[in-house]
Amino acid sequence: MPDIVNVIFNILTSGLPCCLLAIGVFLTFRLLDFADMSAEGSFLLGAALTGSCIYNGMNPFLATLLGILVGIACGILTGILNRVLKIPKLLSGIITLTASMSIAMLIMGITRPDQIFATQVPISLAAGQQTIYSVFYPWNEWNKIVEAAVMAVVVLAVILVIYYFFGTEYGMAIRATGMNEKMARSQGINTNISTITCIAISNGLIGLAGALYVQDALSVSTVSATGYLVIGLASILMGEAIFGKRSFKNWLISVALGAIFYFTIITIAIRLGLPTELKSLLYAFLIATALCIPLFKDLFKKHIIPFFIKLFTKKGESESC
Amino acid sequence: MLELRNVTKTFNLTGNKEDLRTALDHINLQIESGEFVTIIGSNGSGKSTTVNVITGSVKPDSGQVLLNNVDITKLDEHQRASYFGHVFQDPMLGTSGDMSVLENLEIAYRRGRKHSPFLWGFRKSHKQIFINELKRFDLGLEDRLNQKVGVMSGGQRQALTLLMATIRNKPTHRTMKKDYIRFSEKDHDVAKKEFEDFYNPALAEFKKEFRAILFDRTLKHKEKRAKLIEANRLFSQKVSKFDLTKQILLLDEHTAALDPKTAKKVLELTDKIVKENGMTTLMITHNMKDALTYGNRLIMFHGGHIILDVRGEEKQKLTIEDLLEKFNTAGDLPPDSAILSK
Repeated sequence: MPDIVNVIFNILTSGLPCCLLAIGVFLTFRLLDFADMSAEGSFLLGAALTGSCIYNGMNPFLATLLGILVGIACGILTGILNRVLKIPKLLSGIITLTASMSIAMLIMGITRPDQIFATQVPISLAAGQQTIYSVFYPWNEWNKIVEAAVMAVVVLAVILVIYYFFGTEYGMAIRATGMNEKMARSQGINTNISTITCIAISNGLIGLAGALYVQDALSVSTVSATGYLVIGLASILMGEAIFGKRSFKNWLISVALGAIFYFTIITIAIRLGLPTELKSLLYAFLIATALCIPLFKDLFKKHIIPFFIKLFTKKGESESC
Repeated sequence: MLELRNVTKTFNLTGNKEDLRTALDHINLQIESGEFVTIIGSNGSGKSTTVNVITGSVKPDSGQVLLNNVDITKLDEHQRASYFGHVFQDPMLGTSGDMSVLENLEIAYRRGRKHSPFLWGFRKSHKQIFINELKRFDLGLEDRLNQKVGVMSGGQRQALTLLMATIRNKPTHRTMKKDYIRFSEKDHDVAKKEFEDFYNPALAEFKKEFRAILFDRTLKHKEKRAKLIEANRLFSQKVSKFDLTKQILLLDEHTAALDPKTAKKVLELTDKIVKENGMTTLMITHNMKDALTYGNRLIMFHGGHIILDVRGEEKQKLTIEDLLEKFNTAGDLPPDSAILSK
């Protein structure tokens, strides 16, 4: 395959799982106004559980389902800590995150018969372990394309389901809870349950993202699966800044595209061939630039275009005189 | 009928003993259905706390809240939301700013019902109802159903909150049964049996009639529709005697944050709605003129006590001077801390 196609599919295969991650973080961070730190924990747990199950020869679809379920469990735990035990939002997420680290190592330890804890799980396709992508592999050259296609189908399905769900009666109640809890309660909505439901859905999506990620990367470790909360938040902010948030539909798609955009930037940064030490600096610069796009748009509309119009018309007038 | 029995509530926000503030001190209050009560009193006298105790957002330290002679003190705010429509002082609180007018109204229309996670939240039939209701309000909102509430003015938001507090769908089988068992003052099983003995045959009859109309080939589409709506109306009229709940409207200084002109408009709207629907209403206000103009009963709070309670003709004879005198003779004003902490 030509190099550019390869790059595009690399961006897609690393970006599409993060679309789900970004949507998951969006549901709590934006809709519920709940800074949910447990997102990182459920990503790791989803990846670790799916990886371990596949390593032990489980059906990949079942393993992915388990990844979603463990994410949901994480979310319910955070929700209960916050709503029932009245622990502040940020802290209840951190508690779940802290606990999930040990649990992930315990889960990954299942793959090693001689150890209780493990920090990483490898998946090897050669040994007959199947992922949800390898089930569809026709021949080697097209693997990346198949992978991207499977991911795209999952992401599209998730966007459709989430869009539908948040337009149903209960989804509307959840949105009302996030925007104005006092109003929601006075309108007969049990805000505790709707909050916990929303956090559970969000973390379930993040668990699914982890499951998709591990089957693409073919290994997971406690180190490689950290830092994804920041990616999710950056994707949300970039998506909103570039693609807008006019309606719920528009907002949801913006967030998903934001994740792809983020990985495009990252890939460009890697492709420029800078020394590894400078990459983080370049990421920071590129992300900051991307977030300034609305400002540039505004500047362009208000000052630069009028300036040129003025210049142009003046010239025209002087010529006519 | 709404009743407060010996309700006491003490706030202690800082944890220091000297900051203890008694908002309500053994309040006894009975409000008959159909009454329009205006409540006045100085800041920190316990007016808002009374309303919050009724809606359940504040739990009393002791005492009971009774609705139709049934103790509802233990119900959470969202569990008793279907009995009360609450309009807050802050126009931002009553509506959800990031959602459209239509979405806000859909949520309000579904108050007290189950929220299904599978059914689409918007209904065509509801939309028509909302448009008709909004037309009555004469705010020009009926053309802007899809606009976000956040961009509207405080007066429009408050009027919308008022509509949301008064609009409510017909009770379903489930909610009607629950309310009948709760409010009929009979044993749980007796009430349940009585309800089902009446409701189930009526429902069966209605279904039969419904099917007969639906599969009648001689009728045209429009006639069919009209007949079905008529049958539905007759059925709900028939079972309405088992609908024991009546909506109570609670207005917590709902015009305080508005400019005088808008405030007047919202108040007139309130009066119109209350008169049309015959709703039991509690209205807190700081404006003594409004308190005298509207309603048929007036209550004055001071320091957690009710110091004045007049109704009917006696209320009509009251003047602002009488009220001011009552204010001044009521004793010391509450300490500054009580005013500031509100």
